[in-house]
Amino acid sequence: MGKPKIASDWLAGCAGCHMSLLDIDERIIKIAELADLRATPITDLKEPDEDGVAVGILEGGVNNSANEEVAHRMRSRCSLLVALGDCAVFGGVPAMRNMFTLEESLRRAYVETESTDSEGKIPDDPELAVPQKVRALHEVVPVDIFVPGCPPDPDVIYYVLSELAQGRKPEIIGDKLHWH
Amino acid sequence: MITVTIDEKTIQVSEGTTVLKAAKMAGVEIPTLCDHPYLTPYGGCRLCLVEVQGARTLQPACTLPVSNNMVVHTSTEKVKSARKFVLTLIFSERNHFCPFCQLSGGDCELQNAAYKEDMTHWQLQPNWTPYPVDASHPYFILDNNRCILCRRCVRACGELVGNFTLGLEERGALSMLIADLGSTPLGESSCVSCGSCVQVCPTGAIIERHSAYKGHDTQVQKTSTLCIGCSIGCGIVIDSRDNQLVRINGDWEAAVNGGVLCKVGRFYQMDEKRKRVTSPMVRKEGALKQATWDEALSYIVEHFKPLAGKSNNGIAAIASTRLPAEALFAFKKLFVEHLKSDMVTTLEEGMATLAAAKLAEKTGKSFEGNLNALDGADCILVAGADLTQDHEVAGFFIKRAQPHGTKLILVDSGTNGLDLAADVTLKAGSGSLQDTLKRLASPDNHSELSGAVELLAGAQKPVFLYGSGVNEGDLEALLRLAESYNGKVIGLKGGANSLYASQLRLEKPFKLNGHQAAYVALGDDFLAQNIEDQLKDVPFLVVQTAYQTELAEHADVILPVEMWAEVSGHYLNLEGKLQEAHPSLTAPKGVNSNLLTLETLGAALGYDLKGDWKTELTARTPAVAVAA
Repeated sequence: MGKPKIASDWLAGCAGCHMSLLDIDERIIKIAELADLRATPITDLKEPDEDGVAVGILEGGVNNSANEEVAHRMRSRCSLLVALGDCAVFGGVPAMRNMFTLEESLRRAYVETESTDSEGKIPDDPELAVPQKVRALHEVVPVDIFVPGCPPDPDVIYYVLSELAQGRKPEIIGDKLHWH
Repeated sequence: MITVTIDEKTIQVSEGTTVLKAAKMAGVEIPTLCDHPYLTPYGGCRLCLVEVQGARTLQPACTLPVSNNMVVHTSTEKVKSARKFVLTLIFSERNHFCPFCQLSGGDCELQNAAYKEDMTHWQLQPNWTPYPVDASHPYFILDNNRCILCRRCVRACGELVGNFTLGLEERGALSMLIADLGSTPLGESSCVSCGSCVQVCPTGAIIERHSAYKGHDTQVQKTSTLCIGCSIGCGIVIDSRDNQLVRINGDWEAAVNGGVLCKVGRFYQMDEKRKRVTSPMVRKEGALKQATWDEALSYIVEHFKPLAGKSNNGIAAIASTRLPAEALFAFKKLFVEHLKSDMVTTLEEGMATLAAAKLAEKTGKSFEGNLNALDGADCILVAGADLTQDHEVAGFFIKRAQPHGTKLILVDSGTNGLDLAADVTLKAGSGSLQDTLKRLASPDNHSELSGAVELLAGAQKPVFLYGSGVNEGDLEALLRLAESYNGKVIGLKGGANSLYASQLRLEKPFKLNGHQAAYVALGDDFLAQNIEDQLKDVPFLVVQTAYQTELAEHADVILPVEMWAEVSGHYLNLEGKLQEAHPSLTAPKGVNSNLLTLETLGAALGYDLKGDWKTELTARTPAVAVAA
């Protein structure tokens, strides 16, 4: 049996959780020894293997039709799905916009910004993903492991990755449990 | 005593003990949110649900009294899953996203509770309804989005402070924390800015502006000390970080105030706008210039030496009652004993203590009692004091007793902040307070006093509290009145060390008369206009101060000293209780303590100011028994 395959992707997040992942520093070599790091936003391969991966990791909440597609694809191709960070776990900072209507937040973002010089315009190209209410990952697809944190601590990420790479299910409790 | 078994531990408790308290005694921890050890149990959050053998459903431990042979389980699967569910429901109600909350990371009791139950996520997502945020108050912000409706603030506002500003309107998910009748912003409401609600709020629903994002509980240094805002001497806990003040909380353990503070103690002292003085200054060629301590002291010595020993055209000296006892003692020794001045007093000029001191001396008896008499009183007469202006915590003690049936009688001449709260107000008008007080003691034929007389006559434990509006004649009348109704007397006095200054006999009105020099031991205090006006014309003026002051324009020497949070020393409160202040901050370089400043000046003049300041505590009969 080969090394377990791990793939990751990001949705409506700030990439901070992946930065925190890179903050495990040289320990990433240890992970690479234990597991086969496949598609990630920071590797050349962009989509998880069609024949499946052992572990799928998603950062960010689901805030449009494109995110939804990515979430479903990852879920269908991985055995264990990890929600990484507060946005994936709870909706996080992007979910603040759920307190307003979509129309209100789009106007604030594209028309009423301080840097909009003349008249702004809400993008309406049919090729663009359709914005939605921001949802936590588990509202869209079943999630197996929740790793909260904004971002999760590199030590926690390393613990999660090394446990998963060795076929164990990480337990996020005690000092490893942070929501901020 | 009855027997209860909690998680296999059997203990004896007195009847009426709640399951929560019994569990604590048995060493079993039950998580809580709405419960607060200093507030009446409420049973609102349901986090403390426990399994009681024989009971049909889970029961809230905080409100359930133990019954004999009760068997309680606090950590069964049923209990644990209920706890998680309760937390899930709370999280789903409003905006509890942690990354953008100032309490996240240790200070939030809701977050801590979730961590304790190993919650990695929410089963139910919030319903995304925005709730009002009220940022109209100068010292804190009320964010209903973070509110869990535990009503701790509502209970603190009513039970501890007797103010009843905060309340809840509507029902269920629409329940909203409001001020007064609801349409009033907090900043324009009846709120007295005591900040008790901030101190008890378990989440980020009520957050203090000043301390926000300045440091979590685990990141700050804690100093238990006392507030020197007035003679009550409330216990406070100061949080500081990197030699900066972060926040002030009332000390729940303090006997004097039991956790309650007023706006002066909690907020005003954090809101200091004055600039510090960090180096001695000496007037040279008409302008104040920076100098060393040695230069400044020898300049003072040069001017003070020729005036030493002259009682009426020498050196007048005036000190703040915010100075610690040690410094006031040295101050008196220097200017009265050694320099022999006839004008040595405090900024209070004895206005809040002289009447009582004279009476105590005349009768040879201490006649005043402690503030805790207010909590048990059934009728309180307040004479010559507006407890909404100063000594506010004493006013809270009265207001919180009123819902339990305590009656309030006000005797004074002007308007009073408690007028509307009083059962009877007796305005002396053109007459003096003592006329009213004397007539109360012999009430025949005074129909306008019948209301007050009836209340006093029906009281078992009346308390007579008086402030600086009472002169010696008034006080004599008040004491006779108290005696006739077998009541206790409490004197408010003035500043933090008002009573000690009185014991030192530093309590005469300040008159410069013919004095050729003046020494102002201001500390971090403010100067009254009438005193400032007199000091403008003195030929040689020395000011010992923590902050830049208007007096600097006229001062010849300025000596930089510590401000309240840097001070260590003793304070004698209005109850005669000797308390020690501990510094929470370190003074900037070049700044000396008030005591050291006086001692080095004394030494430069050739005097030793050392001595036992404690002997002066009881050197004359104090108005209230001193417990040193």
